[in-house]
Amino acid sequence: MAVVPMKRVTIYGPQKQRKAVLEALQRRSVLDVQELDLQPYGFEKLETSAQRATFAKAANSAQTALGILNQYQPEQTTLFAALEGRKTVSVQDYDAFIGRADKISAAAARLTALSKEIAELNAEIVRRETQIQMLKPWLALDVPLGFAGTRRTAAFTGTFPEGRTLEEILEEYQQQLAQAAEPEQYAADFHIISTSPEQTCVFVLCLRGAAEKVETILRSMGFARPTVSSASIPAERVKRHETKIHVARTRIGEIEAEIAGFAWARDDLKLMMDYYSMRIEKYEVLEKVNQQRHVFSVSGYVPQPEAAALETELAARFPVAVESEEVSEEETPPVLLKNNALSAPVESVLETYSLPGKGEIDPTTMMAAFYYVLFGMMLSDAAYGVLMMLACGIALLKFRNMESGMKKTLQMFFYCGISTTFWGVMFGGYFGDAVTVISETFFGKTVTIPPLWFAPVDDPMRMLIFSFAIGIVHIFAGLGIKLYQNIKAGDWRSGIYDTVFWYLLVGGGVVYLLSMQMFVDMAGLRFILPPTAGTAAAALAGVGALGIILFGGRSSKNPAKRLAKGLYELYGVTSYLSDILSYSRLLALGLATGVIASVFNKMGSMFGSGILGFILFLVVFIIGHTLNIGINLLGAYVHTNRLQFVEFFGKFYDGGGEKYAPYGMHTKYYKIEEKNV
Amino acid sequence: MMESLGIVFALAGAALAALMAGIGSAIGVGMAGEAAAGVVTEDPQKFGKVLILQLLPGTQGIYGLLIAFMTLTQIGILGGDANISLAKGLLYFAACLPMAFVGLWSAKRQARAAVSGIQLVAKRPDQMGKSMIFAAMVETYAILALLVSILSIFGIAGLNI
Repeated sequence: MAVVPMKRVTIYGPQKQRKAVLEALQRRSVLDVQELDLQPYGFEKLETSAQRATFAKAANSAQTALGILNQYQPEQTTLFAALEGRKTVSVQDYDAFIGRADKISAAAARLTALSKEIAELNAEIVRRETQIQMLKPWLALDVPLGFAGTRRTAAFTGTFPEGRTLEEILEEYQQQLAQAAEPEQYAADFHIISTSPEQTCVFVLCLRGAAEKVETILRSMGFARPTVSSASIPAERVKRHETKIHVARTRIGEIEAEIAGFAWARDDLKLMMDYYSMRIEKYEVLEKVNQQRHVFSVSGYVPQPEAAALETELAARFPVAVESEEVSEEETPPVLLKNNALSAPVESVLETYSLPGKGEIDPTTMMAAFYYVLFGMMLSDAAYGVLMMLACGIALLKFRNMESGMKKTLQMFFYCGISTTFWGVMFGGYFGDAVTVISETFFGKTVTIPPLWFAPVDDPMRMLIFSFAIGIVHIFAGLGIKLYQNIKAGDWRSGIYDTVFWYLLVGGGVVYLLSMQMFVDMAGLRFILPPTAGTAAAALAGVGALGIILFGGRSSKNPAKRLAKGLYELYGVTSYLSDILSYSRLLALGLATGVIASVFNKMGSMFGSGILGFILFLVVFIIGHTLNIGINLLGAYVHTNRLQFVEFFGKFYDGGGEKYAPYGMHTKYYKIEEKNV
Repeated sequence: MMESLGIVFALAGAALAALMAGIGSAIGVGMAGEAAAGVVTEDPQKFGKVLILQLLPGTQGIYGLLIAFMTLTQIGILGGDANISLAKGLLYFAACLPMAFVGLWSAKRQARAAVSGIQLVAKRPDQMGKSMIFAAMVETYAILALLVSILSIFGIAGLNI
């Protein structure tokens, strides 16, 4: 219904009790701790960033270890895991966990080390495989690659560019040799080891004395030493690499088995992450605590209904003084909303816009009513609505331990489903026109469920007018909240100038239109207001317009400027026009659901009426309607939000409130059970 | 000969609506998808959020399909009497144009808003609602075009020319 009033609570206690009090506060989870500067009174604050960094590192190492575990031993999860919510850890389990914390830390460190070893082994395998590739051309060589020759002979192992035959090489060598002084002594023996289009691997043998000259000639022919070196014979070398690779692979297998053996640590690692995130939260709060040698003080906001209970509990358990006072005018307390079961689910939508700012009322109740109506009109298919209700209802019943955010969302869609069903019945949509199509295709006679009110496809103009009417109600409700806020703040003048005049102008304008024959014909209305009503409405609209011109610019002292500003304000009537026209999306999206559904129904029915036809119809029906629900659910959600945020909130709501975030245990995986002291 | 051209124009209009709005959405969803994939590489948990934003420019294609299908039904291509006058055919053609053109352009522009929205969500996941609204603002014009096309197509059926 409203924003929950807050109380400012300050706790003073002896240093000895600080840890216990802070832990108690964390478990109670009601105090939104605030900075309070007591330095002038000799208090000091602790710097805890170093400790927090240590905790963050520990939490991180648990997370890394968990990631490694999940990589080699994936966790078995169901599709609905997100709905299950956090498990509760009992006090005994928690204490047992603290007892084996060292073992878990060791496990995390071991997992990280193992994962590092795997990475290193993999790198080694790649390196050795590259070596093998490079040695492949030399496999036929039966001396080591670096073999330099014997006492009398010199040997060269290396490559010529491009693939060449022995004859070609010898011929070129002879040509080069012909220029030398004594060619005989430079005779050399050439062996081709391997040939590929890119290179020719050769082994050359000559007399030791001729080595220098021969090498010069070889180099001029493009000879180069191999890029890979090997002290042993290439074939042996390759074999050794292969053995090492095999060893590495075996080791990786062992390590993976060892990692899998750590499956027991999975839950503990999660709890460890939670444990450290809780400690980080605690130390963040510790920074805001004022401390002296013997005394500490912590201050923050507590929702009013909780304040007394907190005070009693703390006073009973610890030797502390608890001071609770009303929030003063200058303070902006954090915002906590409390609404009835029907409207609370929409709070999360409000939150995505902004929470109510200071002095603003909580618009959730009003918003929720319109939210369900608008959503239902956009989706407007009874069958889809029932499906939504079933899906959300079953999930809500089955997963009772669901996180509250998820629960609210599902509740919201459940209520939206009710509304969708309602409007579906009103407009006659049951999987579009599935009933008609099925009865015609498979039973040869036409059965139609008539709409309770009218079918928008047959009378779109009527639906358009109805959409506008809903829009006007919605916008006027927004204006009404503004008026209420003005009156509540005691500023009834602004109330009249900024809202009542607009009521007169827009309302008068609408009534006047309804008395015009031309408009009534165009809209296809079945009634017309008498001319006197039209005249009266026009007069009221005139009063409204005049009021806006005269008072719209009242913030300016200069009369000319004030009038100009007033005229500009009046120009704002165009925004009302576009706001109202914006509600035509109710018609457009409603028609989109119905027409796309009938497209799929028609496609399905094209296969005829036999057994095969029926099966194909079923396939098209299921795929098509799943798609249609998906698309239109998204469309209805987005555009309902838009109508709320832009057209409705635009009239009265600024937001800007900060969310109430009590110091507590914000964990990811587990809920820690409260300790009974 | 001229008389039988009616159906040609009407079908051309229907095809155009599906074609152009479909192209727009394909481009748009593709663009947004690239941005979304980038975000998911950094943080896979944002998949659900960015997926919604990616789908936003996809509605124009659906609207195009809707207009095309309605036209096809009205002119009797999907069974029934496919004999309509030239004037009517041209009217159907004109009725399809708003959806065709606005569908193409709004989907492309909406995609750019969606891409920016995805980047916003990457940095501040709590601002999901607002980033959605920015993209939804563009869609308003696609919806208005859809409305004009729908109302026109329904209106033409009742005309006696």
